[in-house]
Amino acid sequence: MRLEARGIWFRAGRVPLVAGADVRVEPGEFVAVVGANGAGKSTLVRLLAGDLRPGEGEVLLGGRPLAEYRAAELALLRSVLPQQSRIEFSFTVRQVVEMGRSPHRGRGQDPAADARAVEAAMRAADVAELAERAYPGLSGGEQSRVCLARVLAQETPVVLLDEPTAALDIRHQHQVLGVVRGLAMQGRAVLAVLHDLNLAAAYATRVVAMHRGAVAADGPPAEVLRAEVLSRIYEHPVEVVRTGTPERLVVLPRHELPPALPTGTG
Amino acid sequence: MDRWRGARRALVLLLAACAAAGAFAAAACGGDDDDEAATPAATATQASSATATPPATPTPAVAAEARPVLPAKVKDKDGQEITVSDVSRIVVLNGDLTEVVYALGLGENVVGVDTSATYPPEAQQKPKIGYQRSLNAEGILSLQPTVIIGSELAGPPAVIEQVKSAGVPVVLFKTVSSLDDVTRKINDVATALGVPNRGKLLAAQTKQEIDEAVALAAKATSKPRVAFLYLRGSTTQVIMGKGSGADVLITAAGAIDAGAEAGVTGSKPLTPEALVAAAPDVILVLTAGLQSVGGVDGLLQIPGVAQTPAGQQKRVVDFDDQYLLGLGPRAGKALMDLVKALHPELGG
Amino acid sequence: MATRAETIARGAGAAWRWRLAALPTLAMLLGAAVLLNLVIGAVRVPPTAVLGVLLDHLGLPGVLEYTQQQEAVVWNIRVPRTLLALVVGAGLATAGCALQGIFRNPLADPGIIGVSSGAALGAVGIIILGIAPLGAWSTPAAAFGGGLALTLMVYVLSRRDGRTEVVTLVLTGVALNAIAGGIIGFALFFATDAQLRNVVFWQLGSVGGATWPNVRPAIVLASCAVLPLLRYGHRLNLLALGEREAYHLGVDTERLRLEVIALAALATAAAVSFAGIISFVGLVVPHMLRLMLGPDHRRLLPASALLGAAAIALADLAARTVVAPAEMPLGVVTALAGGPYFLWLIHRTRRAQGGWG
Repeated sequence: MRLEARGIWFRAGRVPLVAGADVRVEPGEFVAVVGANGAGKSTLVRLLAGDLRPGEGEVLLGGRPLAEYRAAELALLRSVLPQQSRIEFSFTVRQVVEMGRSPHRGRGQDPAADARAVEAAMRAADVAELAERAYPGLSGGEQSRVCLARVLAQETPVVLLDEPTAALDIRHQHQVLGVVRGLAMQGRAVLAVLHDLNLAAAYATRVVAMHRGAVAADGPPAEVLRAEVLSRIYEHPVEVVRTGTPERLVVLPRHELPPALPTGTG
Repeated sequence: MDRWRGARRALVLLLAACAAAGAFAAAACGGDDDDEAATPAATATQASSATATPPATPTPAVAAEARPVLPAKVKDKDGQEITVSDVSRIVVLNGDLTEVVYALGLGENVVGVDTSATYPPEAQQKPKIGYQRSLNAEGILSLQPTVIIGSELAGPPAVIEQVKSAGVPVVLFKTVSSLDDVTRKINDVATALGVPNRGKLLAAQTKQEIDEAVALAAKATSKPRVAFLYLRGSTTQVIMGKGSGADVLITAAGAIDAGAEAGVTGSKPLTPEALVAAAPDVILVLTAGLQSVGGVDGLLQIPGVAQTPAGQQKRVVDFDDQYLLGLGPRAGKALMDLVKALHPELGG
Repeated sequence: MATRAETIARGAGAAWRWRLAALPTLAMLLGAAVLLNLVIGAVRVPPTAVLGVLLDHLGLPGVLEYTQQQEAVVWNIRVPRTLLALVVGAGLATAGCALQGIFRNPLADPGIIGVSSGAALGAVGIIILGIAPLGAWSTPAAAFGGGLALTLMVYVLSRRDGRTEVVTLVLTGVALNAIAGGIIGFALFFATDAQLRNVVFWQLGSVGGATWPNVRPAIVLASCAVLPLLRYGHRLNLLALGEREAYHLGVDTERLRLEVIALAALATAAAVSFAGIISFVGLVVPHMLRLMLGPDHRRLLPASALLGAAAIALADLAARTVVAPAEMPLGVVTALAGGPYFLWLIHRTRRAQGGWG
């Protein structure tokens, strides 16, 4: 199922957060959205998820305007991982992941299938060992993986992820993105906001670079993740090197240390 | 170890001190209660005015009927006829009716009273059923009453219905708001309890006392302006006016109800402006209210009071709540005390 | 390490068993509370007479003997009073639980949406105006209308572009509660002593005014609110994940909020209008249960209904027997009995968990 945004605008007051963006995600694709802080990445995800309605333009899911779907229909078609989830009440990890199955409730589904989906999701996100722990007591990275497990358990054709790796250690970053890439390989349409350009380069099938609310570049990682594009959208000098076998893209921001302080007598 | 023992000794001492203080306080309170019960009459604070002695419960009326004549029929506030066939166990739902029942010589039959029953003192020893507006049906029934009398204020209405459904006659009378109604109230209660002749005698005696007081008031040469202030500490301070119950007594005593004249109906918050507008020569308060603001000195601290003529001359008259506002068998005596307190020229 | 894991597993097992047994246990507690309420009271009625009265009214006359007074006490006083206590307790606690879920805040209570102050405003207005257009029904009707009206105002005023934000809702509630409180204070300024006493009596709450004619509508109104509310457990669980998350999982959050607020307002208004303000139950009963049973609203909602009903029934039993033949205000009992227990529970939970995390 294809997800498509056509010329969408969204303003907070008078400030445009998303300014005429065109974004498309096809089944089997893993689209990474990159860009500087405030480029409109999260707002784009919220517009694609249906949390926000675009002021102009439209979002189509499977060719049908998103606004025409009821919440319950939508929940069977797309799942969303928001940036961070605070839960006031101390549900266990298993309870939280089980809630991901809730759109499938009352649809004559075999309860064993639900249980299997929950177990598989918890294993994929590496939270099976935390199953009986209370969510509020977990670390930020653990909470983030539990939320990912909930999204995986929802088993939808379209998956939207807002910074799924932000709080994760290196092992879990790669493990999670491996799982996400796997979703795309199963034929799902996946879009994820990623801050780490090297991860985007390694896992995404396509990269969308956003700059001031608009799409600045859109194409395969090798095309978008070029020094001049990145330097422009991040407004910071960036180098891109190709290294290793098989060849990998590595993004290296330039840095300048402040001049050393003169060593005084104190 | 030593420290622990020391702490324990301190604790024991503390407890003992608490117990002693508690007992002392209780004794002191008990004493207060007794005082109040024994002297419910007016005590005019002004040096020149009379201090009335507590009138005894009138009993001569009891002689009129040896025993209640039953069954008795009586009309209640809604004009419905109610039959009372047994007055051996009476529950009275408010204080001024309790006073009437005792004056009719049926105090021994009373098995329960409400918290407003402060007179006569014996009534305070009876089981309390709570306040007349927040009654408890099963509590009343547990006293095994044969008849229940009260005013139209008794409630909640549902509780009255519950009590009636247990087959106990409940007789509720209209509240009394004028001196003329006092005799009606006495006669109503007497009729309900099967002692109509005692009622007639008591009513006549009360009427006579009221008339005497009114006659004395007519001889007065002054016509002071009287403001009736209702005080409950610093939180509730209002000036009463038309319809307060006290206004009929003030008028009958040959004085002007300054609150009513200043346009107060019911009550109005006590503000310096309201007091200046009322410009009272005398301030009338309830004894408990005066105590709650710290006596006359405290009263004079209330903004505006010191500026009134009454405040300047310290003319403050305080009456017991039930005595002044009961409008029962003691109404004539209370009125007489009020006349004397308001008109020092009568030489009371 | 292994021992610690075992301990945790054992603890979890015990907790799990208790959670399974919780609803039947609460139902038994409720049954016991009802039984005590029917048998104990200022008037001594032997249990056989109580049973006789009940059997008679259930269509089995003449099985056991009783007097007319015993019948009046049991059937006209204790049974309606107990039923009203159950309805009021279940209504307030279920409404509180649902609102805590909707606001995603364990400190929310039925007062937050203005229903209590609206009801108080209605009741105080009627008492102080001294009018009774509907006779004995005037105060309940005014309280009911006031409660629903103020809730509606809170909702309408916090709505913008077809959406209501929780923070706006809470702040609007705070503002309108303050305004209602101000109006009540203003009105009380002009009240007579007797009216003040009536207002205080109403505000402290009581189920003493229960009679068959007013228990029936109370049962109907509260059931119309409580029974549907029990079906919102799953959606409230999803809402606990967050507003957006719930929407992503298929919950129409705007509709959920409207429906739950409306039902909770109905339940609270039904309780408050017949029994006055009974504080504490709506806030504390769901909270206690959350500490004991965990956060799953599918279990919390029915448990709140059961424990709320039992709590008010037991509190009323104390209110009408401790100072008999007079009675204590119900609100005083719930606060004095519930407060210390709640403190103990908080203390114990903090010690066991090392905090709320």
